[in-house]
Amino acid sequence: MKSILSRRRTLLLLWAFTFPILLVAQDEKMMAPVSRTYVITNVNIIQSPGRKIDIGTVVIKNGLILAVGKKISIPSDAIVIKADSMYLYAGFIDGLSHAGIVKSKEEMNRDRPKDPGNPPPDKAGITPQNSVLEFLNPVDKSLEDLRSVGFTAAHVVPYGGMLPGRGSVILLGGSSANEMLLQPSLTFYSELTPAERVYPATVMGVMAKYRDLYRQASLTKSYETVYASNRAGLERPATDRILESFYPVIDKRMPVFFRAERVLDIQRVISLQKDLGFTLMLGDLKEGWDVINQIKTTNAKVFLSLDLPEEKKEEKKEDKTEKKEEKPKSISDLEKEALEKRKVEFTAKYTAQAGAFQKAGLKFGFSTISAKPKDIPANLRRMIAAGLSEDVALASLTTLPAEVFGLTDRLGTVDNGKIANLVISDKPYFHEKATIRYVFVDGHLFKMEVKEIKKVDPNAKPEIAGNWTLTTETPQGKSDSNLTIKKEGSGYSGKISGGRLPEPSDLQRVELTGNSLKFVYAVSMGGQAMTVTVEATVEGDTLKGTASVGQFGSFPLEGKRDPKF
Amino acid sequence: MKKITMLFLAVLSCGAFAQAQVDRGSMLIKNGTVFTITKGTLENTDVLVRDGKITQVGKNIPAPTGIKIIDASGLFVMPGIIDAHSHIALSSINEGTNAITPEVWTGDVVNPLSISIYRALAGGVTTVHAMHGSANSIGGQCETLKLRYGTVDADVLRMEDAPRTIKFALGENPTGHGRRDGQQPQSRMGVEFVIRQAFSEAKEYMATWETYNKAKLQKGFRGSPPSYNLRLETLADILKGNIIVHCHSYRADEINMLLNVCRDFGIRRIVFQHVNEGFKVAPELAAYGAMASVFSDWWSYKLEVYYSTAYNATILTRNGVTTSINSDDAELMRHLYHEAAKTQKYGGLKDDEALSLITINPARQLGIENRVGSIEAGKEADIAIFKNHPLSIYTIPVLTIVDGIVRFDREKDVDDMRLYIDPKESIDIPTFQEADHTHENCMLGAEETAQNIFDLN
Amino acid sequence: MKNKAYLPLLFLIAFFTTALQAQNPKAKSGTFALTNATIETVTKGVITNGTVLISKGKITAVGTTVTVPQDAEVIDCSGHWIYPGLIDGGTGVGLFEIGQIPQATDASEAGQIIPQMKALTAINPNSAHIPVTRISGVTTVLTIPSGGLFPGTAALINLHGYVPDQMYAGFEGVVLNFPTTGRRGFYDRRTDEEIKKAVEKSLSQINDVWDKAVQYHKLDSATKGKGVTYYPEMQALLPVVRGEGSLLIEVNAANDILEVLKWVKEKKVKKVILTGVMEGWRVAEQIAKAGISVIAGPVQELPSREYDRYDKAYANPGLLKKAGVKVAIRTNDRSRGNSRNLPYHAGFAATYGMGREDALRAVTIIPAEIFGVQDRLGSIEVGKNATLFVSSGDPFETKTQIIHVFIDGWQIPMVSRQTQFYDEFLNREPGAAKN
Repeated sequence: MKSILSRRRTLLLLWAFTFPILLVAQDEKMMAPVSRTYVITNVNIIQSPGRKIDIGTVVIKNGLILAVGKKISIPSDAIVIKADSMYLYAGFIDGLSHAGIVKSKEEMNRDRPKDPGNPPPDKAGITPQNSVLEFLNPVDKSLEDLRSVGFTAAHVVPYGGMLPGRGSVILLGGSSANEMLLQPSLTFYSELTPAERVYPATVMGVMAKYRDLYRQASLTKSYETVYASNRAGLERPATDRILESFYPVIDKRMPVFFRAERVLDIQRVISLQKDLGFTLMLGDLKEGWDVINQIKTTNAKVFLSLDLPEEKKEEKKEDKTEKKEEKPKSISDLEKEALEKRKVEFTAKYTAQAGAFQKAGLKFGFSTISAKPKDIPANLRRMIAAGLSEDVALASLTTLPAEVFGLTDRLGTVDNGKIANLVISDKPYFHEKATIRYVFVDGHLFKMEVKEIKKVDPNAKPEIAGNWTLTTETPQGKSDSNLTIKKEGSGYSGKISGGRLPEPSDLQRVELTGNSLKFVYAVSMGGQAMTVTVEATVEGDTLKGTASVGQFGSFPLEGKRDPKF
Repeated sequence: MKKITMLFLAVLSCGAFAQAQVDRGSMLIKNGTVFTITKGTLENTDVLVRDGKITQVGKNIPAPTGIKIIDASGLFVMPGIIDAHSHIALSSINEGTNAITPEVWTGDVVNPLSISIYRALAGGVTTVHAMHGSANSIGGQCETLKLRYGTVDADVLRMEDAPRTIKFALGENPTGHGRRDGQQPQSRMGVEFVIRQAFSEAKEYMATWETYNKAKLQKGFRGSPPSYNLRLETLADILKGNIIVHCHSYRADEINMLLNVCRDFGIRRIVFQHVNEGFKVAPELAAYGAMASVFSDWWSYKLEVYYSTAYNATILTRNGVTTSINSDDAELMRHLYHEAAKTQKYGGLKDDEALSLITINPARQLGIENRVGSIEAGKEADIAIFKNHPLSIYTIPVLTIVDGIVRFDREKDVDDMRLYIDPKESIDIPTFQEADHTHENCMLGAEETAQNIFDLN
Repeated sequence: MKNKAYLPLLFLIAFFTTALQAQNPKAKSGTFALTNATIETVTKGVITNGTVLISKGKITAVGTTVTVPQDAEVIDCSGHWIYPGLIDGGTGVGLFEIGQIPQATDASEAGQIIPQMKALTAINPNSAHIPVTRISGVTTVLTIPSGGLFPGTAALINLHGYVPDQMYAGFEGVVLNFPTTGRRGFYDRRTDEEIKKAVEKSLSQINDVWDKAVQYHKLDSATKGKGVTYYPEMQALLPVVRGEGSLLIEVNAANDILEVLKWVKEKKVKKVILTGVMEGWRVAEQIAKAGISVIAGPVQELPSREYDRYDKAYANPGLLKKAGVKVAIRTNDRSRGNSRNLPYHAGFAATYGMGREDALRAVTIIPAEIFGVQDRLGSIEVGKNATLFVSSGDPFETKTQIIHVFIDGWQIPMVSRQTQFYDEFLNREPGAAKN
């Protein structure tokens, strides 16, 4: 135990060393509040799908929901949150994620072993004995990203190959890994991911190895039972942490949680399940629409991916203009149209997957492992527009995963006695303009910064040429810089100076699409060259957006036209 | 009574296949020139298909009411083509990391979405042997597929109850791989040794289990079981005769070597693949009852095929070896009828003999000759229909039928037959084969990086 | 045994092969009269029951009323056909012996811009590929170096002779592998962006080379060759810039073809031949309008895009022809040793829309015209080189046997290592070892 703790500390230190800025930012937020009692007043409470209290109160104390309802007296030690006409939900539960998980050192080591046909198990991706506790970093930014769209708990799994380790449900916030851990070693996490350049280097190798290990484990397990009943005269069974990890699976005390994005992956996992008979959970499905009946026969619990292919409008436009320049209308233009149409059709199938599952009467949760958190609300809206009902969507985010993970007594609804995992948004969550204002995890409050998102208008044609003053907010404080943009032919060029820039820098690229402006420039800091990418929305004489600086993340940025400068 | 039996059988067979819902159709193919392969060529002949099976072959068969009629007047009707060596419709081909990997199985990675399935159908192919690659001496088990294109369900493609097969490989591919990994085998001596070693270990494994299983029956038995090993289990299945060996091989000496290994370990069912120098040891192959699945004319892309001849199929056939012509290639497999015709140029095989090379003979090599490979009542209705004689250069496959279902119809062929589209792909990027790639396709994916596949000369 | 049924046939074959073995393995010259043949002249129709007279390497008479000189060796071709030798407009014959072995291949040299590398002198006249290819009626091939952007100079050779002079068939061309926006195979996993960048880089390299070549040419003509220094790359490009030599541009993707047409126009390249042109059907009209000839192939190939109709590669030559493009057919076999399959590539093109007549022209007179050797090759006409073959029928038909081959009037022995193996091993002695 001690070794695990110290190891985690080392990891943390390592982390802190690499990302000083983020750590500072996090520390500020993690300062202890003056009270652990909160009251949320005047709020629309959606206790669970279909169960609603109009304008009510929720009281939180010591991490638990103390009271929910109308006409509730406010404790005197409470911090009051006036959530007038806002909407309050149970915090969302993510079915599959790497949130908070860092990669192990072994994972980073890419040397090929001497005998690639018989690699050590960790090289082969076979580490089912691993638990997320060893890899959980409470200040990882991915936790914040998921919280910011309403997730408060997640089934997280280690990184790795075919058997990365056991999945656990964690709370997406807490001061230590132990504090975050809600349901440890809940699942036997598996992927069809081959090892790199060593056995098993293919999916078919992974499947063979899976069967081999499973059957080996079944055999050693039954012998261990015999041995345990009367040891005299029997050979002592060898200890094998890998095979032992299978025992709870073989006993059906622990489900196998398989990641299976594509339609073929899903089928392959099902065939393994049919061979070996384990209890199955399927995660991050993207292409399940054609195999719903096959999934039904397995009784698997299912989590659908919250990642969707983009509805690409921009690129289409680019394509067309490019082609038109090169050649006159031809058969290939028609062909391209037909091909684009098929792409759109298939994008629609991905989007309609959740609706199709609902229609087929198959319950499901959602998973974020391959989704960009910031896209999730929009993706949910796309799914709803494509046939998923809002109630089912909400259930899939709350009650269903709570049930699947055996957490209904603690999570999934807004009821007395449950863990205070809550999401509060200014409009109903699935509303296009909804913004999340507060998130509670385990009774801890996370205030969301309200970013005013300016409307991106593809048809706007703002004039950006001229001088601008930019203000960037970084952990080191605010800084002002001067931006000059010149029109050049059909494009733009520009220069940026001041602020923390040691010398003026030419913009490498200036792109204006509608009213969204993007430009890139290079800075050299402490001998290190970095690229800064600014993305902003222009409205009249102001602009607003972010500046991204490589691995340091992105920072809010505002700008004003400066006629004098 | 008979009717009831039929009904009963129908229900039974439905039950057996219920898991993978395979479509089976009925039709009457009228008035074609029918190459039965096993029973001669019949002019102006009809073929009746009911529920996926050929029920009658003859002249003027009355059409059952409501049956689909295909007018084959002036057309040529032959059994669907069988490719005994293919790598299409698979997501991975080579688990080449270890010299011995019989535990892996291409059946696990069948890809029903592959466009190569449709393209093969357009060449009259109805059954393929989807093989593991040749990077290692004992590769993976293979899967026999029926080209029922149009499903996403891999199980639908499987030829239900086809015998198990496994890929072996001799010569340059496994030795080259061994050299790169610093492992055995790096020579033909090593290839023989690793195979013998694998079988010897499997024999020991079988014996250990047998002893344990016997002991277990005794009252009051207490003892530990031997450890389970899927690799050795599979090798044991080969030794028990439950799996047909398909061995990638080129040189006469290595072919002879494997014959001796098989003899020593009591393995009877062996098909040599490629077997470019099979012609040199044709009498030995015939004497053992080993079969040969060859290229029509590929040679000189590597040293071990330098001393080849396009007369290989003819020499093997004339020496009494059951021979087929295969593709190992997604393009070549689209004109196996033309590849078979080359045996008429190189050795003057008769029409039936040439057509046998791509129908009943590969069926024999896969152990499915009782079900496909000829046009006979009782066989599965896998049929290819051609405009012009299929051995003529001017022939065009026009209709391909699998289990009585039309899977390719040249008249109804349209652009973009893909089943799934990746919404993220770019549409305007073509892919071209390199003119000077020097590998059989069975080395695909065997290398550490994709780029190296073709650069390892 | 099954064998017994074939016994009579085996005897026949044995007899036939003994006769072959007795044949002089050397080529033979002289005056030959090929009589009673059906002659497909390609340019002047089909003559039935005709005679072709060969003397001193040339065709000296063709027709039904030819007088056969007394010293002529008469070869009775009753029931047989005569065709001009087939020309493969792109192969690796002679430059590689065993594809996978670097020591046995000479097709590519180090460097991106090396037009001065000459295929002609590196071709191995004693390659085992040569007999294998010619006894199938393919008498003449364009052997192409491969590799970088300007990998060298290709040479048209006849498949008989012992030194380059004897084999050279009168055409050489500088090869340009135009940068491709296509993928090089399914394993090419570069992003679209990476491909684009690589193409841009290569294109600017090519433009740079061309501009230099134009300057070199100006200097060269201004000083009548005296003012230029040794610059082998430029010297190799000089004939192309002057408009005397041909530039063979290998290009396959539709967009790239359009790019090439633009480039050729912009750079005012006078003699251009497009090779490969797999997606030519997509832009056939533009190629026809540009008036540039095409050597298309391989024909037996997969479509270049997953969504393309399955038979696009088969149909490509026919679609190009239909649009008015002058199109020859090649095998592009640079590693499998199967240039001998040229008639089958042509046969597939014929079947999938080109028609037999045009497909035959595409492997005879059209490539001869494209290479500017139509006065010597490509048809059965008086005065042309006696490079022709006698067959049992239509050479596109798979089962057709090639009976005699003449190259420049030399009667070629109908033997290759592959036929020798057949002779030796059909009935091996000793047979099966006793076990």
